[in-house]
Amino acid sequence: MNTKRKGKDFCIFALPGLFCFLAVVIVPFLYGVYLTLTDWNGVSSVKNFVGLKNFAAMAKDAQFWSSLVLTFKYVIAVVVLVNVLAFLIAYLLTRGFKGQNFFRAGFFTPNLIGGIVLGYIWQFVFSRVFVSIGEATDWNLFEISWLSKPNTAFAAMVLVTVWQLSGYMILIYVAGFTGLDTEVMEAASIDGASGWKKMKNIILPLMMPSITICLFLTLSRAFMVYDVNLSLTGGAPYGSTEMAAMHVYEKAFTSRQFGTGQAEAIVLFLIVACISGIQVYITKKKEVAA
Amino acid sequence: MMKLRQWKRTAAIGLSTVLAVTSLSGCRFGFASDPDDENDTVKEEPIDTSVDTFAYDESLQGTKITLLNSKAEIQVALEKMSKIFEEKAGVHIEVMPVTEGDSPYTKVVSMYNSGNAPTMAILDTTDVKALADEKALVLDGEDWVKEAGNYATEIQGHIFSMPLCVEGKGIIYNKKVIEETLGRNLNPDEINTLDGFKALLNEMRDAGMEKPVSLAKEDWSLGAHHLQYLYETYDGTSEGAAKAVEDLENGQLKVKDYQRVSQLLDLFDVLKEYNVAQGDPLGADYDEMAIDLVDGKTAFWFNGNWAWPNMQEAGAKSDDEYGFLPYFLNNDPDDFVNTKIQAAPSKQVMLDGQQASKEQQDAAKEFLNWIVFSEIGQQMLVKTCNLIPAFKNNPNEPLDPLSRDIFEKVQTDRTYNAAAVVPNDHWSVLGAAMQKYLADRCDREELMDAIQNYWDEQ
Repeated sequence: MNTKRKGKDFCIFALPGLFCFLAVVIVPFLYGVYLTLTDWNGVSSVKNFVGLKNFAAMAKDAQFWSSLVLTFKYVIAVVVLVNVLAFLIAYLLTRGFKGQNFFRAGFFTPNLIGGIVLGYIWQFVFSRVFVSIGEATDWNLFEISWLSKPNTAFAAMVLVTVWQLSGYMILIYVAGFTGLDTEVMEAASIDGASGWKKMKNIILPLMMPSITICLFLTLSRAFMVYDVNLSLTGGAPYGSTEMAAMHVYEKAFTSRQFGTGQAEAIVLFLIVACISGIQVYITKKKEVAA
Repeated sequence: MMKLRQWKRTAAIGLSTVLAVTSLSGCRFGFASDPDDENDTVKEEPIDTSVDTFAYDESLQGTKITLLNSKAEIQVALEKMSKIFEEKAGVHIEVMPVTEGDSPYTKVVSMYNSGNAPTMAILDTTDVKALADEKALVLDGEDWVKEAGNYATEIQGHIFSMPLCVEGKGIIYNKKVIEETLGRNLNPDEINTLDGFKALLNEMRDAGMEKPVSLAKEDWSLGAHHLQYLYETYDGTSEGAAKAVEDLENGQLKVKDYQRVSQLLDLFDVLKEYNVAQGDPLGADYDEMAIDLVDGKTAFWFNGNWAWPNMQEAGAKSDDEYGFLPYFLNNDPDDFVNTKIQAAPSKQVMLDGQQASKEQQDAAKEFLNWIVFSEIGQQMLVKTCNLIPAFKNNPNEPLDPLSRDIFEKVQTDRTYNAAAVVPNDHWSVLGAAMQKYLADRCDREELMDAIQNYWDEQ
């Protein structure tokens, strides 16, 4: 009776969701893996099996590896800056000072603007507003557009992503901070913990669930960055800011090497899956109950 | 207290709305350098529908077909055209735009793969070439082929697409600004060598305009429009361009031995020297270039007739005097490159030969012939879509000065019809190499090596 009931419940509640998940995630994914083993060009009706040839082509694609290295640098910069900044701001915004709700809304606003639009706005800011400021003040930093030199263009990418992503993470950290048990905090204060000690030994461990989520979100978002990359720099100057996801797209659709592009996409997926998997495992282990 | 909190909340929401709205509209006002902005609709010209001698096939009435449009700026015009066509022929055409950010090729391929192929698709020649074998309908016997002359593109001995329009490129000049700066009349036809062009630029400099040239940094401009002259000027024909590409591909022609390469860089160096954005060439803004040219901050801009909507937005009037100078490659006035500008059919209409029914294919064929032969179709192509017709039987003259200049040059044999079909990533890979050269972060030698490497890898 009980197992019968369970089966019925499963069919009613889980099956539709499972079906959708299979149809739009698992099946296309497996099909994508299969495509890396063929020479399909996206158009032809025949797909010839070519073994690991696409992976060999990927190994030889120097641009892919350099874009991957660049992506790693970008991810490190973004993950560190976003989380440190969001954590600090969220900490300040839960101190109960006047107008903190206003600031919470304000910091969250950039996240409401889509990545493409955001990229175009900042493109204007970097190449016109900053340059005008540079002209008016003779400030070397803004003498030429940040987007026309590889290093500054990279910095621009990081800056814009941090600006966009922090608001979202602030929201999660704020939820974490407001969820902290006041009794525990009071007990800690009575026991003489204050300042950095309180932060390190009490608040940080209790905030680990929020940190897990925020790290995971920033990691995966930063690795898969495409929209801001496309609209802010478009890979310019001379392809020096082309991140991995953008390179995969360019390989598949601009160079029309679908097989190689697909193989690179799979590798990128594996890298992101492994790294975020390890991150979740490690930070989960550090989570404590109050 | 309650009131205060409410006030704060309202203020927060209000401020974020204002921010969101201003930032969204910031994009619409043309800061994003998108040459194909849908909002740049052309000024409406009345269409005379009183005369129509086109013979419509009655049996096709009620047929429904689709048209995939990759030229965003004529989306509205095409919709108008399809409406008139439906009134006349009884065939309904749904015009589907390629959304921004999507490449036309990606779009058409995904439509084919989902069993939802468009009956007609406006594509680049490279795309047609990639699809011709398996998907396209052979159009060899169509009536319009005879009118197209050498503007029809043959792929493996067959015609798979109809040229929708002619597009031309060169060095756009603003005649009024030049004459005002120099204080004398200018006859553009008198400039027929690179030295002549340099002399003119020098004269402008002496007369007070230090940097009279705008040079776009976009990779599509550098990689496709500048560099493709290498192949297009091989002998000024599409066959010659194909031969140059083939010889480079199989290594018979080396970049260092091909004199057009150094000639092209000679001109490019001149453009660099007089570039208004010389201090930061990779920070140059596309929209600003149109404004500079129209306002007279510069007098020259390397571009094509597709730049008109941008110039119009910047305040240019259709009776202003703009035109094209050739892309001067050397000092031989008898070399065609110094007296003619490049103009070739660019957008191709391909018909689906795989998923469309016989009626749909016939209806699509009728639509193509209607554009070429009916008085209404001819007018709408030129006046509504603002395109330069690729068919000699079309008597309508284009409306804007850039198209008009190309149209006149086509009529008087001062254009060369050469379109190079290059690998699809040519513009992005070599565009990046050209950006380096533009910003002086590599020398001639390195650039030539990059071009050679590209062709070696093909």
